[in-house]
This record gives sequence, C-alpha cells and structure tokens, in this order.
Amino acid sequence: MESKLISLNNLSKSYGSKTAVDGIDLIVNEGEMLALLGVNGAGKTTTIKMLSCLTRPSGGTAQVCGYDVVKDTDKVKKLIGISTQETAIARNLSVEENLSFMAGIYMDPDKYSRKDIKDRIEKIIADFRLEEVRKTKSCKLSGGWQRKLSIAMAIIGDPKVILLDEPTLGLDVLARRELWRAIEKLKKKRTIILTTHYMEEAEALADRIAIMISGKIVMTGTLTELEEKTGQKGLENVFISVAEGGTL
Amino acid sequence: MNRTIQFAKRNFKELSRDPLGYIFCIAFPIVMLIIMSVVNESIPKEAGMTVFRIDNLSGGIIVFGQTFVMLFTAILVATDKDTSFLMRLYSSPMRSSNFTNGYFIPMVLISVVQSIVTIIASVIIALIGGTELKPLGLLLSVFTSIPSALMFIAIGLIFGTLFNEKSAPGMCSVLISLGSFLGGVFFDAEATGGVIYKICKCMPFIYCTRLTRSSIKLDLDMEHFVLSFIIITAVAAVLMLLASALFKSRMNADK
Repeated sequence: MESKLISLNNLSKSYGSKTAVDGIDLIVNEGEMLALLGVNGAGKTTTIKMLSCLTRPSGGTAQVCGYDVVKDTDKVKKLIGISTQETAIARNLSVEENLSFMAGIYMDPDKYSRKDIKDRIEKIIADFRLEEVRKTKSCKLSGGWQRKLSIAMAIIGDPKVILLDEPTLGLDVLARRELWRAIEKLKKKRTIILTTHYMEEAEALADRIAIMISGKIVMTGTLTELEEKTGQKGLENVFISVAEGGTL
Repeated sequence: MNRTIQFAKRNFKELSRDPLGYIFCIAFPIVMLIIMSVVNESIPKEAGMTVFRIDNLSGGIIVFGQTFVMLFTAILVATDKDTSFLMRLYSSPMRSSNFTNGYFIPMVLISVVQSIVTIIASVIIALIGGTELKPLGLLLSVFTSIPSALMFIAIGLIFGTLFNEKSAPGMCSVLISLGSFLGGVFFDAEATGGVIYKICKCMPFIYCTRLTRSSIKLDLDMEHFVLSFIIITAVAAVLMLLASALFKSRMNADK
C-alpha cells in the first residue's frame, strides 16, 4: 500500500490582496516524483516555499511525513532537501567543500562519524559524476554544473523529501539532459516534488503531474490520466486545453 | 554548535579567498600607517602634534582597519542574501543564532589577525624611527580592540541584513569616513575641541581609538581606558543584540 509522505489540505498563501496559492489539495506518495507544472506566477515556488518552511501558509495545512510545516518546523527541516530556483551555492568554495559544508549542517556528528560523512560526500560525488570538478571553485563552474552541485547539496543529508524548484531553468539542452539523468537516478529512492514550466521535463521525469494555474491545482494525474480527462494527446496539448479552460 | 562552526568555517574560507579582503583589510591600513608615519616625520616638533606619532597612530589604524572588516561583513551577508544562498540555509535545520554567530566568529578572528599585523608593522616603523613602544601595551591592545571589532562587525551585519549587495558597501563607505573622522584617527579631536569634539564624544568611534591608544601606551586611567572600555563594550553588546534581532526578523520576514 502506498503511504502518503506529503499532504496538502486547502493550503493557501496570500500577500496582501494578492492570492499566490489558493486552497490547494495534494497528496504525494512515498517514492513518487510529482511535477508541479505551471506558467510563471502560477504559485509553484510559493508552494515549495511553504513546504520547506520558508513561508508560513495563510490558510490550510501542509504535512511532510506527518509533521506539520508550521507546528513541527524543526522536524520538517530535517526531512527535506531543497534546490532553489536560483543556484544557491557558496561561490568561493570548491564543489567538495560545498558538499562538506552542507553535510556538516545536516549530518549530526553525534549520529554520524567522520568516516560516514566522508563516505557520503564521496558517494554523492560519484553519483552526480562531479569527480572532474571536485576541486574547482563553484564560481568557476558552468550553469549546468552549478545546478548539478545545487541538487547534490540538497540530497547530501539523505532527505526523505526533495524539493526541486525549476532545476533546469535557463540551461542549454545538453546541460538539461545531463541534469535529467541526475534527477532520474533519485527517483524511487526518495519522494520528489519538481516544479517546472517545461512540458517535456514533466513528461520525461514525473510519475504524476499536477497542473497549477493562478494559484489553484486544476488537474492531477499521470500523463495517461490527464490525456484521458482532457481528450488531448501530449502534455502540451493537455496543458493548453486546461489553461484555456477547455475542460473546466 | 556544530552548525555554527560549519558556517563560520565556510565564511572564513569565502573571505580568505577574496583578494580584495587582503587589500582592504590588511594592505590598505598598513599603507596608511606608513604614509602617516612619513607625514609625522615632516611635522616640526615645535608644532606639538602627536596624533601621527606611532604610539598614537597604530591605535587609530587598528580601528581604521576594523571599519573595513565591517565593510566585508556587510558584503558577505548581503551577497549571501541576494544569491539565495541564505534561503537554502533558512530551510535547513540552522537557527538564527547559528547564522549570526557564524558571521561573528570568523570576522573577529580576521580582526585580531589584522590588529596583530598592524602592531608588527608599527613595531618595525617604531624601530626605524627610534620610538619606543611598550610590548605589554601592544599585547593588551590586541585584546582591548576586540569590543570595537565586535561593534563594527555588528554594524556590518545590520547593513548586510538591511541592504542589498550594491547598497550595503555604499552605506559602509559613509561609516568608514565618519568613523575615521569622528574617531579622531587622522586628527586630534581632543585638541580641536569645540563643536567637533562634542559631536565626536556623542559617537562611539572616538572611544574605540582612545581605548586602543591608551592600551598601547599602557595609559590605563579612568577617562581614556576604563570609561572607553565600558562605553565600547556596552555599544557593541547593544548592536550585537540588534543585529541578531534584525537578522532573525529578516529570516522570518516572508512568513
């Protein structure tokens, strides 16, 4: 039986009179990768920020592994890893030092030995194929490498949930494909929410897709389910159909 | 505690790898020390102007150098904020005290190193010029300069928290000019007297230079040493609390 790892119930966020997220309900099961698909300003990043305890919801609830993002902030923060829309890395530190720094933040020395931490860093370097740049200062890396490092930093603490906010935004096609391969490897081992406005990205990576428009989740399902619901073929047609209100 | 140390290590590495840090925090104060020592040689003894004499100048330059530590604190905090690096860390198990302490620790270390380098340069200049400096006074000044270092670092943290990476350095430049002027680093504020001296006495900077100067000369009287130490320590404590509160409120600003 699938277990719910993330549960959003009537979740909303307003900034003054502007509603960024408007009462959304969503469940993400363990080991699932869900793509939150929407145009800019749809409320995807705000949803990620609420899940990662960066923004307090205006209404409703959000739970990660049964812990409330408002009441159990400390517990939730230990369970999640986030890669923000903008590359958030320490610029003058090497790739290895960035990973070591994040390992120091997430891996409690009372629970993990130095060897455990070192082994973890080596595993991440190998999994993300960062060996050739491990000693390179991160400010000298290309955009693709920086994003890869950013995601590697998000999973260094072995989180149960990974939140990837527009991970391939602004990357060229080769860098994007390389990053897809890295994200693909994370599937099944962890529960992932990925926000994107690239249809092909959601199609290629996600187990399920939630379409978000003007702060609301208007449709959720596998690609096949979305195609059946809208009578359209391909995610782009599904999205356009939903966005233009054809099925609403 | 571990998270504070990890963050402090990261900050120390970031700063120690920035060549501009060496230029502004180490080289520039030393250049000013040398230039003002040369100026001092050109001033006739009859003028009775002692502000550039090495036992006075070194204390002032220590404080002058600390204003650049303030600048680099502000730049580091503002840059972390503007590049989303802090946002990533806000979602980690780090607490606001981990952040503020993690900024303070490396900056204090840098400031102490800066004071030691300034003192070494002062000793060399004193030896060349035939002026006697008291070793115990020099050692004491390393410790008594810490409260003023904390004060400037707190100001840097406040500016870095409030302003972005473009405006924070500008605000710091204003304070560097004000601090060195109203602190009497490059002129004798007490001898000037009048309104200027009254303004100087209303600001904390003059007490910073008084404290380091009186420490170097082992002139440990009530007015110059004890009172200055109390004032600077109190101002540093208040500003540190304010910086921590501001950083914490900024951390939660979006909530």
